[in-house]
Amino acid sequence: MSTIASSAGATQASVRAALTGKHRDTAGTVFQVALLASLLFSLAVLLVLVVDVLSKATPVFAERGVAFLTSPLSSNPAKAGVVQGIVGTAVLALIVAVVAIPIGLATAIYLEEYAGDTRFTRFVQVNIRNLAGVPSVVYGLLGLSVFVALANSLDGAGNGRNILAGGATLAVLVLPIVVITSIEALRAVPNSIREAGYGVGASQWEVIRKLILPSAMPGILTGVVLALSRALGETAPLVLAGAVLGSFSGLSLESLFSGSYTALPMIVYDWSRKPQEAFREDAAAAIVVLLAITLFANGIAILLRNRSEKAW
Amino acid sequence: MAQALPASSVISLHGSAARRRRERLVRTVMLSAAAATIVISAFIIETVLSQTLSFLGQINLGQLVGIGWFPRRGIFDIATILIGTIIVTVIAMIIATPVGLASAIYLSEYASPRVRRIVKPILEVLAGIPSVVVGFFALTVLTPALIKPLFNDANAFNLAAAGIGVGILSVPLVASVAEDAMRAVPRSLREASYGLGARKITTSLQVVFPAAVSGIVAALILATSRAIGETMVVAVAAGAPQARTLNPLDPGGTMTSAMVLLASGSDQVTGNSAAFQSLFFVGLLLFAITLALNVLGDAFVRRARQRY
Amino acid sequence: MQFTTSKRLVALAFGAMVIAGACGNSSATSAPTSSATAAPTAGATAGASQVAGISGSIIVSGSSTVEPISAGVAEALAAAKKGFKWTVTGPGTGDGFKTFCAGETDISDASRKIKDEEAKLCADKGIKYVELKIAFDGMSVLTSVKNTAVACLSFADLYALVGPESTGFAKWSDAASIAKALGSNTAFPDAPLSIIGPGEESGTYDSFVEIAFKAIATARKQDPKVTRPDYTASANDNAIIDGIAGSDTSLGWVGFAFAEENKDKVQEIKVAKDVNGTCVAPDAATIADGSYPLSRSLYLYVNTAKAKANPAISAYVDYYLTDGTISKVLETVPYVNLPAATLAATRDAWAAAK
Repeated sequence: MSTIASSAGATQASVRAALTGKHRDTAGTVFQVALLASLLFSLAVLLVLVVDVLSKATPVFAERGVAFLTSPLSSNPAKAGVVQGIVGTAVLALIVAVVAIPIGLATAIYLEEYAGDTRFTRFVQVNIRNLAGVPSVVYGLLGLSVFVALANSLDGAGNGRNILAGGATLAVLVLPIVVITSIEALRAVPNSIREAGYGVGASQWEVIRKLILPSAMPGILTGVVLALSRALGETAPLVLAGAVLGSFSGLSLESLFSGSYTALPMIVYDWSRKPQEAFREDAAAAIVVLLAITLFANGIAILLRNRSEKAW
Repeated sequence: MAQALPASSVISLHGSAARRRRERLVRTVMLSAAAATIVISAFIIETVLSQTLSFLGQINLGQLVGIGWFPRRGIFDIATILIGTIIVTVIAMIIATPVGLASAIYLSEYASPRVRRIVKPILEVLAGIPSVVVGFFALTVLTPALIKPLFNDANAFNLAAAGIGVGILSVPLVASVAEDAMRAVPRSLREASYGLGARKITTSLQVVFPAAVSGIVAALILATSRAIGETMVVAVAAGAPQARTLNPLDPGGTMTSAMVLLASGSDQVTGNSAAFQSLFFVGLLLFAITLALNVLGDAFVRRARQRY
Repeated sequence: MQFTTSKRLVALAFGAMVIAGACGNSSATSAPTSSATAAPTAGATAGASQVAGISGSIIVSGSSTVEPISAGVAEALAAAKKGFKWTVTGPGTGDGFKTFCAGETDISDASRKIKDEEAKLCADKGIKYVELKIAFDGMSVLTSVKNTAVACLSFADLYALVGPESTGFAKWSDAASIAKALGSNTAFPDAPLSIIGPGEESGTYDSFVEIAFKAIATARKQDPKVTRPDYTASANDNAIIDGIAGSDTSLGWVGFAFAEENKDKVQEIKVAKDVNGTCVAPDAATIADGSYPLSRSLYLYVNTAKAKANPAISAYVDYYLTDGTISKVLETVPYVNLPAATLAATRDAWAAAK
């Protein structure tokens, strides 16, 4: 396939050269270089960003090493660490996974396997696409006035600004991503698989559970990991839903219902607006931790997708 | 895709009553999950609308026009943060449009499969960078190393750096939607063009590009909507909205950053609960604008799909 | 075949999640106990001095200026007493009072005294409190080191340059007529006036307006709570310093500590309270004794009912006011310490309230 294309391209180039009498297509070359340069711009930005953050963070890691990862927040930039952010981010990711994956997957299965093309289904689909485009800060408003209020009424001791409310806010935020990617994964499963299942007398749920879901799993997991990675990096909704901008004792999982929590991106935001210059270096070091986690998650998603592309 | 067995099938194939009950239960659970997504939308709209109405009831409408965005003084000049949003979005799209579209053309028309396999993940990684990180980058690198040397009188917090940061974040979205659109253009069109002796540049720009224009427009609209909704880059790199300004080198804010800054706590909230509720008013505006753009973008995506 | 592949993928993904989770845990496990990581800091630094633990938690919010002191004190107490739990945030003095008077917080940090409307809010909710002075802070009025035309400004001059009536003034000399009307003879240069200061959300803005403008603005029937809106505001003190240094005839104000740290870049202007009064330069002594007119006190407001019910609150405040605690914290946080007599007075106020 590629050899045919390239030999066709070569023939065409030589024919064109002969026809036009030109040996070089200067404009074409310039154009191609410009395109490549644009593409490399993204790469360059990524590189500069990573190198800059790493160089700012190096002194912090050099001086404090693992202590930066194991220390709690502090008003003193020389002592402040991110352990509460790491724990908070992990707990938030867990809550997001527990809430968003079942609901998202069930929605996708309903739309793709059960529902016909009714007005209701079309409405749900349009609605999910629109939810995917709602700015994350608006989800923060939802978190503040629904989840925080709910948590507050359930637990009178705290003020409702607990990690469950924050996690629920993020779960709702990434739900459309889970639904949309899962629908795509389910759609990619060939109909012959379904028919084979029904042919041997399996019920619809049995076909879904035993045949379709396993086949679609790589694609679904890609979506789940992408959604989690998005949730890990979100700041604005948590600011509105009441994650702490400041410092507190203990970890973020002392209590799911009362007690303060934070997340890595919240720490980056808080430190980047502190007046002391030393907090900028701490912020860069926190970014290194955050990027390591999100890049790791994205890497897994890309890996999974490459696997799933080979599946059929 | 409902593939229930025909009613006339052998009774035993229906299985036991328990089995059928389980089937019904599963179906109900799945249906309620789908319904939950509608409840979420309903909650968003209800929350934002009711608080907005209460906000508008508390102030007199003259307070929506003033010298700047000063919620604490009861001056909610919505134009200030709209202008801020426009400045940031325009700068972002000035960056994201050429870079994103050029990347899309390269990936779709020029890149070998191997190059694409290497380059696409890079774009995806760029898309996956948390926006607060890009905000930090804009504040600590773009402003001192790019904006300040070019414009001496730029503030340490400025809308221009925030706009560039948002632009960087928007490149992958433009590139991926536009690339999808261009790859959907049938091969036959390209071959016809080559057959007429057209060069690759001509084919790309005058055959493929116009054929994919719906998808490209969709890419730009969706990226614009994303840029409008982007929050943390602006909140970190552009300072806060104040007096109305048209100068991108001034500090300022967008609708989104005004919301986050109000919520991150400040004296602005005290003694004037209208300030707090203004958050929801801004949220409603933001919701309406991005929704309109998304619906428009989706329409273009559908048109692009139907074309071939 | 297909099934085993997908199962492997499932395992891979969950394995990855576990690893990600383990990263979080492993960082915590370097503390002595892995599962019961109640207070990692306490375990590390608590020594023989640890007498008894404190059970209970406190929530402190309010001024971002006071936040580092309160957080520093909390960290020190947590290191000494096991089981003491705390949260300290700094959204701003006004926001702090709002949540304090709603009963959400135990202690409110403030870089100014509680306002009447805030006190009324507390009274409406039945919240009783005690006001404790804990440190001093000054505000420095700054200009570029290159500006030699102005050495001293009175409150009237500052009002003429930065007050609500100065909106639109682009040159120092534009302010001369208002200053003259207020009785000032200060000569303003015919030079561009660029003003940089903290944003309206900060207590430093509030304090500056309250101390320097309130009396004049009230007398002239202007809004007593605001400056001119057309100045460059920044939430970042370093950005304010850079802005002032960046323009030859700039004018701005920040917390005293930040000005002192940047004396190579910016110049402090002396301040006189009254028109043609004594010009005083800010330093630790003049701020502490109040002779520098732009000095203010920093306060804690403690909810007395909660303090009686929750031993952690009184333990915290006791520790706060112990000799040496504040001065130890102020080694890393640059404010001006209270003289012994004032600290004693604060301690008395606390003893009477608790």
